[in-house]
Amino acid sequence: MSRKMSFGGVLILVLLGAIVSGCIGGEKTTTPTTTEQVTLTWLSTQLNPPEERAFVQEQLLTEFKDQTGIEVNFIPISYSDMATRLEAEEQTGEVTINLIADLHGGLDFFASKGWLEDLSGKTLEGRTFISTFEKYATIGGKKVYIPWMSATYVMVVNKKAFEYLPDGLTQEDVMKGTEKWTYDALLEWAKNLKEATGQPQLGFPAGPKGLLHRFLHGYIYPSFTGYQAKNFDSPEAVEMWKYLRDLWQYVNPASTTWDAMGEPLLRGEVLIAWDHTARIKNAIETNPDQFVVVPVPRGPKGRGFILVVAGLAIPKGAPNAEEAWKLIDYLTKPETQVKILENVGFFPTVQEATGAIPSGPLKILAEGVAAQSATPDAVVAMIPNLGEKGGQFTNAYRTAFERIVLKGEDPEAVVKELGPQVRKLFEEMGQEIP
Amino acid sequence: MKIKSSYLPYFLVLPAFAYLLFFVGYPLVQALYIAFTQNGQLSLATVRKTFADPYFWEALKYTIALAGVIVPSQVGLALILALGVNRVFKGKDFTIYALTIPLTISDVAAGLIWYSMLSPSGFLNKLLLNIGIINNPIYFFGYQYRHMEFLAIVLAELWRATSIVFVIIFAGLQMISQEYIEAAEVFGADYWTRLKKIVIPLLKPSIQSALIIRTLFAMQIFGIVWILAGRDIPILAGEGFYRLTELKEYDVASIYALVIAGLSILLGALYIKFMKAEYLEVKR
Repeated sequence: MSRKMSFGGVLILVLLGAIVSGCIGGEKTTTPTTTEQVTLTWLSTQLNPPEERAFVQEQLLTEFKDQTGIEVNFIPISYSDMATRLEAEEQTGEVTINLIADLHGGLDFFASKGWLEDLSGKTLEGRTFISTFEKYATIGGKKVYIPWMSATYVMVVNKKAFEYLPDGLTQEDVMKGTEKWTYDALLEWAKNLKEATGQPQLGFPAGPKGLLHRFLHGYIYPSFTGYQAKNFDSPEAVEMWKYLRDLWQYVNPASTTWDAMGEPLLRGEVLIAWDHTARIKNAIETNPDQFVVVPVPRGPKGRGFILVVAGLAIPKGAPNAEEAWKLIDYLTKPETQVKILENVGFFPTVQEATGAIPSGPLKILAEGVAAQSATPDAVVAMIPNLGEKGGQFTNAYRTAFERIVLKGEDPEAVVKELGPQVRKLFEEMGQEIP
Repeated sequence: MKIKSSYLPYFLVLPAFAYLLFFVGYPLVQALYIAFTQNGQLSLATVRKTFADPYFWEALKYTIALAGVIVPSQVGLALILALGVNRVFKGKDFTIYALTIPLTISDVAAGLIWYSMLSPSGFLNKLLLNIGIINNPIYFFGYQYRHMEFLAIVLAELWRATSIVFVIIFAGLQMISQEYIEAAEVFGADYWTRLKKIVIPLLKPSIQSALIIRTLFAMQIFGIVWILAGRDIPILAGEGFYRLTELKEYDVASIYALVIAGLSILLGALYIKFMKAEYLEVKR
């Protein structure tokens, strides 16, 4: 009997504890300026994984509070939840969110709905934003967000591979991303490597969880056709697929089982690989002397690559806009940006930060990323924001790849079949075809 | 407090029943709802969509093919191992421990171990190259080498999951009374006759349990295929997972889950119907 009692007692205590601690009973909302202590509500679709969240709460926001005395309630949230909540608050006029962080595509959408403050008049001292980011953050004459963090996909080269460069291509060309560093040169190089070593030395993350589809729609498609999806079934696209089929002879066949290129690079199974910076970071950190990060090659229409930009925006009518701006100021400071790079691997958006990175593996990565961003023939691609349909978009590119490159189907027939499906996705979401 | 003894059995199965209802029954009903309705209306659209996808039939084919190769091999191998160990010799205990070690390793870990062994620069290729048996490494992975990937999966699964069959059969073997064997020896039955007429029939219940367990697990095979072959070799669980996580097609993923559940129930029923275990004590 006594055991039963104690169990009930524990249960009551646990429930009480949960209510008192705030787990149950609704989340606290900000009451503006009536109290001295300001607590900002910051919704973010970025830095949501537990270890990244811990970094934000324990390091970034603790330091911010020490400096300004302002408390911040960091709320990691999914894109669809954020959109729902923002819409509800904007429509009822009871705005409680002070700051939001999201990728370019999401912020672009919010701006088009008129939910974001225009930040044009405001200035941040002592930092120069990289011009590409600045350009994208200005939509319809308004500055809708402040670029905060960036990420991209690059090529990693094991220095051994430079011994087998094709004629007319130098290491300098590759490292700087000159005009000579083309997809045709890559093909020659990959061929040389296979002939010299007896094994295919190029690698792509083409496994089920790999990001090959990003290479297809954000890199090789813009490089050959000028667009990600608009010319999906154009003659240029057919040429591109034929090229990729040629190239695949020199690609390690196990690529179809690889989800990330860090391990294959470290195991020495490939000498050249393409992948997301976060997924090759471990290889460079383990063996910084062995690898370099280089810009991707260029195609007939330029050098296509994806920029992932996360920005900070203030919702229209947000309370404590003054304090929210202070948080933006803090988060874009070069020191803070370097700290973010060191802890979570996102790259700075301000030029001053690049100089402040201590030498070592991260410097190798940052230099490669900066070299790629600075190439004059850049064709920048942003990942389209198709919400739930995003999976179908990437699946179309993967299907085309499987059917044309792996199964050897006729490229023209395949792209003609899939092209309308891809364009329909954008029409259904009411978006321009990139 | 006294509970009326006739209620006791119900009382005792209650927790298990509640568990099944909550963790199996509820998701099953939910899956049925997602799979067979569209906008709140009964609809077969999702079923048609799933069946029209060539990946579904490939996944079904490969799942059954893998089970068809792996399960009989495992039972055969486990039987040989169990018969081998079921005698007195020095180091017997150690051998049994060694044989059961793979039981402790997860399928994903096993996949990674075999991946590094079979990769072009892995242990196996290095060994064969050094001995001089081959001049170029053997490729096990990649879409072009799907038959080799299939082989790699079979090898890894044999290594990883034969031990569970071994444990079951070995336990069954130890339960067989030595008197039967001795009696047969008195009448002059040789080893093969004893095996065929006494040991195997008496082992039937164990073999049946092992077969059911392994076949049902084979329908759900996932981690090892995912690591070693990705989607080069589509399988039901893998395709369901891919549809759910990558394409966010919850309805199609539900159909995959239901197909796996349906196959498992069907196979379980078939085993029980056609492989009635014969206990000597009962037959007498």
